[in-house]
Amino acid sequence: MSSSATTPLVLSPPERREGWWHRHQAGLAPFLLLLPALVGFSIFVLWPIVDSLWLSLHDWDGVGEKRFIGLDNYRELMDDRVFWTSIVNNVWWLLAFMLAPAAGLAIALFLNQTVFGIRLVKSLFFFPFVISQVVVGLIFSWFFNPQFGLLNEMLGAVGLTGVSPLDSETGATFAIIVAGLWPQIAYCMILYLTGLAAMNPEVIEAARMDGARGWKLFWHAVLPQLRPATFIAVVVSVIGALRSFDLVAIMTAGGPYGSSSVLAYYMYEQTFLSVRYGYGAAIAAVLFLIMNVYIAFFLWRMLKREQA
Amino acid sequence: MFPAPIQDKGPVIGTAYRVTLVVALIVWLLPLVGIGLTSIRSIDDLNQGNFWGWPEETRFAENYTGVFTQSPMARFLLNSILITVPAVGLAVALSAMAGYALAKYRFPGNLLLFAVFIAGNFVPFQILMIPVRDLFVNVVPLYDTILALVIFHMAFQTGFCTLFMRNFIRQIPDALIEAARVEGVSELRIFWHVVLPLVRPAMAALAVLVFTFVWNDFFWALVLVQSDEARPVTAGLQALRGTWTSAWQLLSAGAIIAALPPVAMFFLMQRHFIAGLTLGATKG
Amino acid sequence: MADVRLEGVKKRFGDVEIIKGVDLAVEDGRFCVFVGPSGCGKSTLLRLIAGLENVSEGRVTIGGRDMTSVPPANRGTAMVFQSYALYPHMTVAENISFGLRMAKAPKDEIERRVARAAGMLQLDHLLQRKPAQLSGGQRQRVAIGRAIVREPGVFLFDEPLSNLDASLRVQMRIEIGKLHQDLGATMIYVTHDQVEAMTLADQIVVLSAGRIEQVGSPLELYHRPRNLFVAKFIGSPTMNTLPVEVLGQDAGGLKLALPGGKPILLPQAPGLSGSTPTLGVRPEHLTLGEGRDATLNGKVRLTERLGSETMLYVDLGHEAEVVVRADGLSRVRPGDVVPVGLSKESCHVFDAGGNAVLNGALM
Repeated sequence: MSSSATTPLVLSPPERREGWWHRHQAGLAPFLLLLPALVGFSIFVLWPIVDSLWLSLHDWDGVGEKRFIGLDNYRELMDDRVFWTSIVNNVWWLLAFMLAPAAGLAIALFLNQTVFGIRLVKSLFFFPFVISQVVVGLIFSWFFNPQFGLLNEMLGAVGLTGVSPLDSETGATFAIIVAGLWPQIAYCMILYLTGLAAMNPEVIEAARMDGARGWKLFWHAVLPQLRPATFIAVVVSVIGALRSFDLVAIMTAGGPYGSSSVLAYYMYEQTFLSVRYGYGAAIAAVLFLIMNVYIAFFLWRMLKREQA
Repeated sequence: MFPAPIQDKGPVIGTAYRVTLVVALIVWLLPLVGIGLTSIRSIDDLNQGNFWGWPEETRFAENYTGVFTQSPMARFLLNSILITVPAVGLAVALSAMAGYALAKYRFPGNLLLFAVFIAGNFVPFQILMIPVRDLFVNVVPLYDTILALVIFHMAFQTGFCTLFMRNFIRQIPDALIEAARVEGVSELRIFWHVVLPLVRPAMAALAVLVFTFVWNDFFWALVLVQSDEARPVTAGLQALRGTWTSAWQLLSAGAIIAALPPVAMFFLMQRHFIAGLTLGATKG
Repeated sequence: MADVRLEGVKKRFGDVEIIKGVDLAVEDGRFCVFVGPSGCGKSTLLRLIAGLENVSEGRVTIGGRDMTSVPPANRGTAMVFQSYALYPHMTVAENISFGLRMAKAPKDEIERRVARAAGMLQLDHLLQRKPAQLSGGQRQRVAIGRAIVREPGVFLFDEPLSNLDASLRVQMRIEIGKLHQDLGATMIYVTHDQVEAMTLADQIVVLSAGRIEQVGSPLELYHRPRNLFVAKFIGSPTMNTLPVEVLGQDAGGLKLALPGGKPILLPQAPGLSGSTPTLGVRPEHLTLGEGRDATLNGKVRLTERLGSETMLYVDLGHEAEVVVRADGLSRVRPGDVVPVGLSKESCHVFDAGGNAVLNGALM
């Protein structure tokens, strides 16, 4: 046996003081580690979801009694003009935001060079994502301003008459969407820049040697390697389009006359400004259910990858 | 490398590219440039519709100090700091623990819990709005306080953060943890002495990213706060818009001041920031 | 006392049974090697002894104490991992002393043990370096040092040399052997390399598909393999196997017909049933020239010249081929017809089920 010490420092099963904690700490550890995050998350995310859904079946003004009315809120939503406008607008947001990954990819390809100062340029292109949506909203409110907005100055410079998109019932939503695309494209751009940097150069070289050039090279050797980035870019853009609130609140407050409203904003308006908590909860529930489709899809893909 | 290096295509195309680059950059950042310019104009400039030209007199100091003297902007900035820093710190700490538990322990429901954190991260705020507000008004009277926002952001951001940390910690070799176990180190000690030092860079990246998310939050500032004492800079800016309806030069200056901290954070920690955003993105 | 005993040990992962019932005794102070092809369960068995996995059935006893449900830290074992598992953010000294520091051992005791381990492994000048600054062999030694300071009763090695290049492997093998001599502790060592097994072990355990095929000293396994699996696993190049026919068995011995019909007379093999057994003989026991008990003729198909020896792949016709080890200076060329000699002392006979009914008598 070992020639040394008699102090049974590290190999003494029963001699070591084995309290209850020591015996169980290995098994308990994961739960202890999970507990704080889980508690916070349950209180502020999980329970509220359930509570909101329950609330959507009631009529409530926030202070008085809650009156159970079953699905009446939802029936009312069916006839609500602004609700449908909101849904249509959300669809516009969704469609428009599908341009973000493509635009982001285009800019990423454009910037994927190693000229001097390109790192600074990339960072500057990424700017719009870093600043608050409130600031973006203010910037574009100014941009679209009929008196001294940049847009009108530019139109005036080429001889076109001024426009006031944010005051137009047909144009307001699109003006806000433009504002929303600015940071969203920046985010997709970064995703693709990173994806391009992580590509396997040998695949591209092999394709080049096979004679692939330009578009063919891109389609067959580059794009497939960007699939993970594309996946994230699309998911994030979808979620972003459906969740949009800040810009609508800042730029038009849903107006004029609710024409630029989206579900997220309409819910806020109904709850606080019209003081109809149950009704607002119903709107939130609809939004939540729509988003669940995409959340479920994302989860399914992510977990499939886990099993793999 | 794709596209092919521009240097290989001759000096003409190379120069054309560099020029296009600068032009594109200016076009892309035009709104920012514009608002920057507006922020240093005088009120007369604006009223005259002077726009493209360099302002007659630059009122940089005047406008920017004006923001602070004519509004609670200083208070707003302080509030943002008081909200963001603790929320980020706590969220990252809690999710490091939770991420480790999910990454390195096998137990029933592990994957389900992981899915819950992911899904919770994506839910629309609106479905949480009423109960959370109610919680802070009736259950624990913290409505209209900085603490309410700290607590909420800390709790909510653990969704994203746990996803992030768990995926990162997965990459630590199991053998490292087993070696410590065989050496008789208790589980919590293993977390502290072996795992945490190795995930420090990931935590830094995460902190920088989440700092931006929390600092830039507008919705919860609207919902949980109504007085200037507790308002962060995002809601503060919106409130100022009501006061300064046509004082665009002040509003622009205020917008730039509000935007500076996350921008500064971004530039200082670029590598961390991008690592945080894209971790797992390119790996799918 | 730090002997290790496994009784009826089984391990299931979900529906799959990885270890199918193992009984084993490793005496105190022995160097025992678990060897077998990939997936045979040798690493799993080691981890069961370490306590990193729990047994599904059976008992693990270490030093006379039942350790079946005792956590790894309290079993009196220390493990050296295949990937070394060094803590990247700690220095060598910190790596080695980590467990002791966590157990709040007295500082002078920690220093003494670390110094002793470092001395034994020539790590003295490396104590302040971090793992990233060390070579593969040095990292290997740090991992061993970490195990030594625990002064365990049993050392467990999980394929420690497989990440090293060939020459380093030979060197480290010798060092581990020397370590065993110096420390005298029980060592259980897992490898897929049968050369490591043969050179280091007092006792080899050959595993296949979750079961023990044979336990014995290296030479025992070499000269008296219990079945075809062990016979072919131990020894490089692999033992030759030839299909033979039983011509008859009586008091004089067992008479077999070699491929092509020539007979050979071997000692009696009472356990033999059936008429088509397999004859096994190692390449190094075949001779070029007339054999003492039988000679076969064949054509050389391929030669591998290693300088110290030459391997000849000889086609005997009748769909039988053997590998013969010849002298390094042999002038035989592919295409040559050569006589291959057998002697009965080096022949083994395996029945249709692969079990040995007769082993050679060289030892």
